[in-house]
Amino acid sequence: MKSLPLSAIFWLACAAVNGAEEWLDRLDETLTISAFNDTVRARLSGTIELEAYYFSLPAAGLIESASETLLNPRFTLFLDAQAGSHIYFFAQARLDGGFDPSDGGLEMRFDEYALRYTPWEDGRLALQIGKFATVVGRWNERHLAWDNPFINAPLPYENVTAVSDLEPPVSARGFATTRITAAEKYDFTPILWGSGYSSGLSVAGRLGKFDYAAELKNASLSSRPESWDIANRGFNRPTMSARLGFRPNPAWTFGLSASRGAYLETADVLPRGKSLGDYHELVFGQDAGFAWHHWQLWAEVYEARFEVPNVGNADTLAYYIEAKYKFTPRFFGALRWNQQFFADVRDGDNRTGSWSEDVWRIDAATGYRFTAHTQLKLQYDLGRHDSGRAGYGHLFGAQFMVRF
Amino acid sequence: MHFTWFLPLALMSVSTGALAQAVIEGRVLLSEARSAPVMNKRYEIVSKGGVLATNPPLAVVYLEGDFARAIPAHDKKVEQKEMAFLPALLPVQVGTRVEFPNLDETFHNIFSFSPAKRFDLGRYRPDERPIPAQIFDKPGLITLRCDIHEHMRGLILVLATPHFVVTDPDGHFQIKGLPPGRFRLKAWMSSKTTLEKEVELKNGSTMRVDFP
Repeated sequence: MKSLPLSAIFWLACAAVNGAEEWLDRLDETLTISAFNDTVRARLSGTIELEAYYFSLPAAGLIESASETLLNPRFTLFLDAQAGSHIYFFAQARLDGGFDPSDGGLEMRFDEYALRYTPWEDGRLALQIGKFATVVGRWNERHLAWDNPFINAPLPYENVTAVSDLEPPVSARGFATTRITAAEKYDFTPILWGSGYSSGLSVAGRLGKFDYAAELKNASLSSRPESWDIANRGFNRPTMSARLGFRPNPAWTFGLSASRGAYLETADVLPRGKSLGDYHELVFGQDAGFAWHHWQLWAEVYEARFEVPNVGNADTLAYYIEAKYKFTPRFFGALRWNQQFFADVRDGDNRTGSWSEDVWRIDAATGYRFTAHTQLKLQYDLGRHDSGRAGYGHLFGAQFMVRF
Repeated sequence: MHFTWFLPLALMSVSTGALAQAVIEGRVLLSEARSAPVMNKRYEIVSKGGVLATNPPLAVVYLEGDFARAIPAHDKKVEQKEMAFLPALLPVQVGTRVEFPNLDETFHNIFSFSPAKRFDLGRYRPDERPIPAQIFDKPGLITLRCDIHEHMRGLILVLATPHFVVTDPDGHFQIKGLPPGRFRLKAWMSSKTTLEKEVELKNGSTMRVDFP
């Protein structure tokens, strides 16, 4: 099953590097159609990615693998369509080993689909409904592989904490002594689970130098991909999120985000009289960005509070600073410093202590664009990836991709 | 003393020379395919509405020959306006300096990976001075792209001749001020298709050439 997509990726990659540039440009034009005197237009595009990882176990972030190496092919299709200047629709479908890199079998998913209505052309208001990335923060603007200077996500978006939405702790002592093993890692949650393609509706717009966005979604920022689909989780415990942005000029952006929503998926160990809707994840985020000539800089800080059954409030703070520089038209480099701190909680014996060990990670990446459609990225991470592990964790990743 | 009779003769000679220059006009049968680009606004939830301009197919008609190589006197411009390159197709003579003013309220990042000219202008503000520019010193086709807005596509055709013109959307063209002689007239239609015809130009004549 895996050999067919892998060989297709290999041959497409070779063809792309060896002078298929014009062919891909023509394919782009072929996959763009219009009707009704160009009022209705649609464009199909996509990426073919092949990622290879070598890491110390347990793997960093949300990589799910029992061995130290992982090959992760991915085929992504995008549809962008518009009807006049007011209606816009987009969708993203993926064929890969899971939303996060894993050694599981290939699966096909609709990760995003959304309809947007923009009543005025000046962008003061846009209404959107569907399954789409969260409005919180600004990493989502560059989370797709072509735009992301790195192969993985910043720490707040992928570092699993001791908070579990599937197996909440039965006691404060159990929570404070949680050790996350490689086999159980997928039972725990980060502050934000990647791009957060949950389902719901949003309102957004720009007023002068300010922009705003608010969304009502079916799952919290930390919810796992299985919860994002409204057919799986329903809409009875909605999450409210918002972001207010300030852009004094095209070079600088600043933003404040906030989110509140129920994150638990199981009611098995809840105290008597409590329900899933009583336990929230609260997030307050700040972001800043700067771009000038060949420099791009980003920084985000997230303060999160998980209301944990049988424990109380578990607070954590995570941030990252990221820089990218283009050395030549084709060659770029990027560095990212990530850290996460955990506050104290009171255990069953009334003693206080950090509910997890503080984590840091430095990511270094370089990328080379062979053509406007092909790109190779290499990345090395060093850090304390997971609580409970002695020493440092390493990750080496390589990602080759073709965009059409 | 001799200048009194030389000056009128010289003026007469220039005037006769101008009148004697040849003209080629005609029509290129353009393809019916045209691009109606769609903007990717998936993660730019705060974006203006608007419909991107449709680019009609155009051709560049140029006279190929052994012409005296002169440095082009004027700079050219490719604007970034309403999320598109304007003009979308620009023929220039080798050695031409082309400016890329950003007339949108947002950043653009123009780059080219074309062998005839590789460059990346980076992100620059609309009010940034000097306006970023490049000198195109090798003949060939340059595909302009924007690193931020993937739908943006523009072409610069760098030619080793001073005699060229872009057709109108119906394919009509006219090239004036041509010297007499035997030349190749070419009609560039796309990166894959360039039509050509032998032409013999005579002083003061107007020649009609249609492609194909």
